[in-house]
Amino acid sequence: MLEIKDLKTRIGDAEILRGLSLSVKKGEVHAIMGPNGSGKSTLAQVIAGHEDYEVTGGTVRYNGQDLLELAPEERAREGIFLGFQYPVEIPGVNNAYLLKAAVNAKRKHQGLDEVDAFEFLKLARERMAMLGMDPKFLNRGVNEGFSGGEKKRNEILQMAMLEPRLAILDETDSGLDIDALKAVAAGVNALRSPERAIILVTHYQRLLDYIEPDYVHVLSQGKIVRSGDKTLALELEERGYDWLREAATG
Amino acid sequence: MKPSSLDIDRLRDVVRQLPNDALMPSREAALAHFDEHGLPTLRDEDWKYTDLSPLVDISNRWLRAGGQQQAPGDRRDAVERVLGSIDATWFVIADGTIEPWTARALESGAIEVSRLSDAPAPFVTGRPLADLNAALRHDGLRIRITGHPEKPVGILLADRAGTNAGVAQSCVEIEVAPGASAELIEYHVSEGDEDHYANSVLTMGIGDDADVKHVRIQNRSIRHVQTGRTSLALGRNATLRMASYDLGGGLIRNDIDIDLSQPGANVAFDGLYLAGDGQHIDNHTRVDHRVGPSTSSQEYRGILNGKCRCVWNGKAIVHKGADGTDAKQANHNLLLSEKAEIDAKPELEIYAEDVKCSHGTTVGQLDETALFYLRSRGLDKNHAIRVLTHAFAADLVRRAPVSAVMEAIAEIVETRLAELTESDLIADILS
Repeated sequence: MLEIKDLKTRIGDAEILRGLSLSVKKGEVHAIMGPNGSGKSTLAQVIAGHEDYEVTGGTVRYNGQDLLELAPEERAREGIFLGFQYPVEIPGVNNAYLLKAAVNAKRKHQGLDEVDAFEFLKLARERMAMLGMDPKFLNRGVNEGFSGGEKKRNEILQMAMLEPRLAILDETDSGLDIDALKAVAAGVNALRSPERAIILVTHYQRLLDYIEPDYVHVLSQGKIVRSGDKTLALELEERGYDWLREAATG
Repeated sequence: MKPSSLDIDRLRDVVRQLPNDALMPSREAALAHFDEHGLPTLRDEDWKYTDLSPLVDISNRWLRAGGQQQAPGDRRDAVERVLGSIDATWFVIADGTIEPWTARALESGAIEVSRLSDAPAPFVTGRPLADLNAALRHDGLRIRITGHPEKPVGILLADRAGTNAGVAQSCVEIEVAPGASAELIEYHVSEGDEDHYANSVLTMGIGDDADVKHVRIQNRSIRHVQTGRTSLALGRNATLRMASYDLGGGLIRNDIDIDLSQPGANVAFDGLYLAGDGQHIDNHTRVDHRVGPSTSSQEYRGILNGKCRCVWNGKAIVHKGADGTDAKQANHNLLLSEKAEIDAKPELEIYAEDVKCSHGTTVGQLDETALFYLRSRGLDKNHAIRVLTHAFAADLVRRAPVSAVMEAIAEIVETRLAELTESDLIADILS
């Protein structure tokens, strides 16, 4: 589904990804771990199409097409979803509007009619109940005045409504208390399917207690320095990142 | 730059051709005053950003063609649209003439209405454009609110540009009795392809303990010129909640003066202006805190795209002895084009001791992070731009203090923003 080869990016003068390769197949859940500044969020943003990052080398193919050619909105309509580390507050745009606009943009791309208003509301309410969200959040401004946990739930709600083929969740666990973490994990687990791939970007192993990954990768200085199964995450929890960094440079 | 001046001889002729009614003495006095002082120029501090030559040109063409007022015609589409969409007790002034059918039946005993000519007040020296208005006005509307009308009181000023350059003067005097309350809608609209200049004067005295909610909507043709002076005075413990929406117009200058000379007066007013290619929208506000305690707060927001210019000048004067004054001002602008220009100027003059005053002004572009967020959800770039500009305006739309007009305002704002954000200029600045 996603084939990244030798990807190099920079922002301004700073080189961030320095030859990253990663292959993700449908149905798989990958965890990308690594210390701060290793390039985890950059990878997430580049896949979603953030224009501040300049790709200086390598390729990214997504379902057979050159992903780097596509605008962010085209990537979204092709089924890529990025759950933001810091979801943006947009006062004055209500949540329901954004959800509906997003769902309709995708449906239009697929040649489908706009979503029926009644069906949309019904689905949104169901998904919100699953995430333990009060339905009144539908009529609030997008993330406006939301707590950290509410913002992350709202990201998962968007994901649940958009049903992406590839979801990248950037530090979705950061700043969550245990109840919120469980609710978010339950939301993600409910969306696991043989047709969908998920990339979890996280600093801590904690999230992986609730969402079990098939693969764990460690990113350091813009490269994947080690890959393994979920036991690698436990090892990192015990030993920290330094031994890998030394192994990579040494 | 020397502005051309008004043809005073023609003006005199036109004034003297008006019916010799009870308003004639004040017309003559206003004419004399205007003759003496003339129009402001770019050298006047209060007018340095706004060149009045377009209205001088339109007025001169109109004066030289005889200065005829358009005959009251059929009720127009624009009038029907407004009256049909907003439920209010409407008074209509079309091309400066009070529509005879206006307020034929006042259901509520809480409103009294008359013409200025019924009981003419002596001429009070005003500002140049107000003098021009007093010299040329055929008549005016006087509305007295004595109780608590159930419906909003609407004043619709509708002009239609005829075959020649057109000029219309309107004057409305409102008195809100002590303890009364009212929702007011002041709606300016114009249609037609020819040049047109509308000059309005609205005064309102708000009695002790009275409570007024006032919405001004200006949705003129973007070819047309409007100047207007709104003078408001609040009594003891009176409250005014006001919002102005400049959604159309070619050259627009609004002067809003608010006089707080009684303790406990409280005014909050907001403004939204949307400007595109060729538009010039100038908002000058002035609040005089003459005694304390009293509070005023204002927030104006603008969205500008294309080659246009907007001015916001917010003045608050805290006079000597007005202790306990609380005055806040804010002005925020979204510039979607490099060709758009905003002159934003807060002015605080404080001569009292114990006061709280603050002001803040921002000029910016769209938030790139928010833009990416929306695009990452599948909204194309233009849609995302529309959503964000809309959000910037939506706050002020929501603050419209008269709920009966909120939907109408939201609709015009949406249409206008769609027009403004279709421009290719935005793509240039953001890519």
